[in-house]
Amino acid sequence: MEDNNKNSRRKFLDKGLKLGLATAIGGMAISKISKLSAKSNTNTGELVELMTTDGTLIQVDASEIVEIVTATDPDIQYNVREGIPNRKFVMVIDLAKCKNALKCVSACNKHHYVTGENAWLKVHKMQESEDTAPYWMPRTCMHCDQPACVTVCPVDATFKRRDGLVLIDNERCIGCRFCMAACPYSIRVFNWAEPEQEITLNMDHNMDMGSQHHMHASPDYAGVPSIKGTVDKCDFCPHAIKENELPHCVTACPNGVFYFGDKYEDTVTNGEETLRLSKLLEDKAGYRLLEELGTAPSVYYLPPVNRLVDFEDGLENYKEFESVEKPAES
Amino acid sequence: MKNYDTLLEDLAPKKFGKRGTIWTLFLSVIVIAGLIAYIDQVIKGQVVTNMRDYALWGIYISNFVFFVATSFVGSVTVAILRLTNNNWRTPLVRIAEIISLAAIVMAGITIMIDMGRPDRLLNLFIYARLQSPITWDVIIVPTSIALSFLLLYFPLLPDLAILKKHYSKTKPKLSNWYGKLALNWTGSPAQKLIQEKSIKIIAILIIPVGIILQTIDAWLFSTTYRIGWDSTNMGAYFISGAFVAGVGALIAVVYVIRRVRKLENYISDYHFDKMGKFLGLACLTYLYFNINEYLLPIFTAPVEEDIHLNALVSGEYAFLFWFAQIVGLLLPLLIVLFKNGRKPFPMFVVGMMVVVGSWWKRYVIVTPTLLHPFLPIEGVPESWHHYFPSIHEWLITAATLAMCMLIITFLVRFLPVIPIQRTAEERDMLKNTKNTES
Amino acid sequence: MKINYNIRFIFLAMIMVLVSGSILKVNAQEVKKSSVRIKADYVKTMNKEVTFKIKATSKVDNQNVDVTNIPIIVSNEYDDNEVELGSIITNMDGSGKFVIKDYNLIKPDSSGLYTVNFSFKGNDTFKRASKSVSYKDASIEAKIIVIDSVHYITATLKDTAKDSLLSEQLLNVQVQRLFRNLRIGEEFNSTDENGTIIVPIEEGIPGVDGNLTFEVVLLENDDYGTVKTLVTAPLGVPIVDQSTFDDRKMWSPRNKTPIFLLIFPNLVIFGMWAFIIYLFINLIKISKSKI
Repeated sequence: MEDNNKNSRRKFLDKGLKLGLATAIGGMAISKISKLSAKSNTNTGELVELMTTDGTLIQVDASEIVEIVTATDPDIQYNVREGIPNRKFVMVIDLAKCKNALKCVSACNKHHYVTGENAWLKVHKMQESEDTAPYWMPRTCMHCDQPACVTVCPVDATFKRRDGLVLIDNERCIGCRFCMAACPYSIRVFNWAEPEQEITLNMDHNMDMGSQHHMHASPDYAGVPSIKGTVDKCDFCPHAIKENELPHCVTACPNGVFYFGDKYEDTVTNGEETLRLSKLLEDKAGYRLLEELGTAPSVYYLPPVNRLVDFEDGLENYKEFESVEKPAES
Repeated sequence: MKNYDTLLEDLAPKKFGKRGTIWTLFLSVIVIAGLIAYIDQVIKGQVVTNMRDYALWGIYISNFVFFVATSFVGSVTVAILRLTNNNWRTPLVRIAEIISLAAIVMAGITIMIDMGRPDRLLNLFIYARLQSPITWDVIIVPTSIALSFLLLYFPLLPDLAILKKHYSKTKPKLSNWYGKLALNWTGSPAQKLIQEKSIKIIAILIIPVGIILQTIDAWLFSTTYRIGWDSTNMGAYFISGAFVAGVGALIAVVYVIRRVRKLENYISDYHFDKMGKFLGLACLTYLYFNINEYLLPIFTAPVEEDIHLNALVSGEYAFLFWFAQIVGLLLPLLIVLFKNGRKPFPMFVVGMMVVVGSWWKRYVIVTPTLLHPFLPIEGVPESWHHYFPSIHEWLITAATLAMCMLIITFLVRFLPVIPIQRTAEERDMLKNTKNTES
Repeated sequence: MKINYNIRFIFLAMIMVLVSGSILKVNAQEVKKSSVRIKADYVKTMNKEVTFKIKATSKVDNQNVDVTNIPIIVSNEYDDNEVELGSIITNMDGSGKFVIKDYNLIKPDSSGLYTVNFSFKGNDTFKRASKSVSYKDASIEAKIIVIDSVHYITATLKDTAKDSLLSEQLLNVQVQRLFRNLRIGEEFNSTDENGTIIVPIEEGIPGVDGNLTFEVVLLENDDYGTVKTLVTAPLGVPIVDQSTFDDRKMWSPRNKTPIFLLIFPNLVIFGMWAFIIYLFINLIKISKSKI
C-alpha cells in the first residue's frame, strides 16, 4: 500500500505539474498559476515574459519556467510496473564492430552510479574453442520474454513489463538472490554492503535537476540509489527511453555496436544509422544468446563476421578482474 | 510394581551432570558468538560473508538443506517403521521426533539468515507469488514445524501425566509444569481414542509432508538453469539423501544419549543392528541416485557440465566431493554390511561419518555449480572466482548447529527420551491398560 | 496535494540557490567573466510551429560547459524595428526550445529575409552575448499518391516569398519512429526542375493502428534552415501487442498466477492445514475431556 501511495503521489506530481504548466502556457490558467506561486514560498521575484500559443505575452515567475523548459517528455504517463504501451524494446549488438573500447561500461557505471565491484554491463572475452576465433561480447541484461529470474521471485520484486523490460523494485526485494541463481546469463548484481554512492549521487543530483525526483529508489531508474541487501541489474534505461533518448551504452559506444529500438516499430538505431530490425537480423544472421534455454531474450547478437576491427586491439583495455573503475584515491 | 518403579527411575528426565552442564555452556557460548556475528552481518550487510555475485549462495543455504534433510528422520522412523510394523522402533521414536523438530525449526531460522533484507520478512506473505519455489518453502516449512511438533507431543501426553505423578511430592513445581503440559491426561478411553486417532493421522500425514518438504528443497535448485542443479533426478536424490542424513543423525544421537543416560537396558545391540541395516538400505538407495546424478552425464554432458564434473571429480572440489562420497556414503555402507560393524560403537562412528559427510555433500551440491555459470566469470576481483566461508559464516553456521543440539539437549533433559508408558506396556508391566501406539 | 507542490518548489529553489552559489564561487576565484556562445537553430514544421533550438555554452578553463539557467531574450528584427517575442531560460543542459505556434508573428524585412536575435544581458559570471539568425521562408507540400498500386510520397519545395520552385535541393524522406526516424527511399533525394521528389513507400512498415507519419525534411539548409512537413497515412501494418503481460504465465505477477499453480498448492495447503487444525482441536478436546 505504501508503495502504491508513493507511486500515485509521484505520478500526480509529474502529471499535475506538467499539465498545470502546459495550461498555464496556453494562457488558460494564469490566475491558477499565480495562486500556486503565491502559495509556494520559492518565488525568485523575477518575472519572465512568455509567449503563449495564441500569441499573447504573459508574465510568470522565473521559478515556474524551469519546468516548461525541461518538460521535453511528450506526456508519457504510464504505470512503472506496466510499462510504456505499444512498445517492445529490443537491443541488437553487432559483435563485428566491438573492439572492447569499454565506453559502454564506463557510461553505464557512471549513469547508474555503480559503485560495487561488478558492473551491470560487461564485455566478455569469448572464445568457444581453441580453434575458433576470439571476439568481444558486450553483455547487458537480456530482458527475456520468458524471464527465469521473474518466475522465481517470491515477492514480485522483479517484474516483466508490457514493453518488455525486466525491472526491480528495490523497495520490495528481500535479498534472497534466487533471481541471481536463476539467471543463466549471470547478469544480476547484489549490494553486499551499503552502496558507497553518497558522494557521487548527491553531487550529481544537486546539479542535475532533470532527475531529482528519483532520489528515492524507483524501478525505472535502477541504481538511483542502490539499496543494501537488494539486487540490481541493467534496466535498459527507461528513464532515458521515456525522454525519447537512447540508453547510455548505445550513445556512449564510439563504434556503433549497440542498436536499440522498438520491435513493434521494426526499427533499431545506434544513434547514427537507423535500420529495419527484421532486415538487419536477416542480413547479418542475428541470433540470441543461449536460445536453447527458451528464455526468449530481447537482445540479439550479430555474429563477429567481416570484422571492422582487430580482436587484438581490444586487449589493451582488457581487465580480467575489474569492471568498475575505482575513483582515483586522493 | 517394583520393575515399573525402576523403569520410571531409569527413563524419567535427569538433571545435567557435570558433563551435561559443560556441554550446555559450550553450546551456549557458540550460539552467543554466532548471534553477535549475525548482528554484525545485519549491520554491515552480507559483505561480511565470502559470498559474492557468482557464489551467491554459500553455507547458509547448504546448512539449511542439511537441516531440512536431517528433519526427514521423523518421517522415516516414525511413519515408515510404524506402517511396516517394526516394533524395534519403540525406544528410538522419541529421539527421532526430537531431532526432527529441532532440525526443522533450525532450518526455518537458517534460511532467514541468508536473506539480504531480513527486515522485509513479511513481504514473503504480503506479496507472496505462488510461482516461486521459495513461496512453496515458506508454506511447507511452517507446516512441517507444526506437524513435527504434534508428532512429538501427542505420544508424549501419557508420559507427561506419569511424570506429573512421579514428581508430585519430590518436585511440586516441576510436577505442576508437567501437569499443565499433560493437558489433564488421565488415560480415559475417550482421551485414548482421540489420541490414537490423531497419531494415526499424523503418521500418515508426515509422509507426504516430509516428501514434499525434501522435494521443494530440491526444486529450489532444479528450477534454475544451472548446471548440476537443472536435473529431474533432484527430488528423489534429495529424498534419499535426507534418508541417509536423518538415520545417521539418529544413530549418533541415540548412541550418545544411551551412554549418558545409561539406557543400555532399553537400547540394546539389537536396536543398533536394526538401525545399521536401516542405514544400509538408505545408503544403497542414495548410492543409486548418486550414480544417476554423476555417472550418466559422462555420456551426454555438454561442455559446461563437463567442466563442472571435472571440477568435482578431479579439480578444485575433488577433495570435498570424494570425502562426501566415501566418508559419507561408501564407507558407512561397507561397514554396516558386517555384523560387527553394526555394534553400538562402530555404529556411532558410522553415524558421525554420515552426518559430517552429509553436511559437506550439501556444500558440494550448492557451491561448485554457482561457480560454473554459462558465461565466463570476468570483470570481478580474483577472489570472486572461488568461495570458502568467512569467519562470520562459520560462526553463524556453527551457532545454528549448536542451537539445534541445544534444543535436542534441553528436550532430552526435560522429556522422557524413551516412551515410558509404551515401554511399560510392551514389557507387560501395567496390566489393565490397552496398547497405546506411537 | 498543495504540500507536494510546495515541496517540489522548495526543492527547485534550493537547487537553484546551490547552482548559483557554486557559480558565484567560480566567479570569486576568477576576476574575468566568461563569454557565452549562443547557438540557435531554426526549425519550421509546416502548418504547425516554428521552433528555435537554443544552446548556450561557455569555455571555462578550456572546457566547454553548458550555461544553465540564464535568460535569453528572443526578438524579431525587421526594417529597423525590433520586437521582443519572448524569453527563455536555459535548462540544465544549457539548452531550451522557443516555440512559436503562429508563423505570422515573425515579420520579414522588405527583401523577405527573416532575422531573429537571441540575446543574453550578462550576469555576475558571464558576459553579455547575442546571436542573430537569418533565414528565408521555404515550404514543402507533400502528399501520398498511388501509381500501379504502389504508394509513393511526393513532395514539392518552394520559396514562399518568391513563390518559386526550388530545384536541386536535397530532401530526406523518413517515417517517424521513437528514437530516430527511419529513412525510406534513396539516401539522397534531389528535387527536380519542378522542385519535386518522389519516393516509393516500402511495404510492411509497422505503425500503431497501421498509421504511419512521414516526414519530408529539408535539413539545415544555408538559406532556409530546417523545414519539414508531416503526412500521416494508414499505409503501415498495424502493431499487435505480443506481450504476455495480460496472460497467466510463470513470470506473471501474483494476480496472474497460472491456474494450476493456484489449484494444486492451495489444495495441498488447505488439505494439510485442515488436518493440522483438526489435530490441535483434538488436543483441546483431550484437555477438556476429564475422565
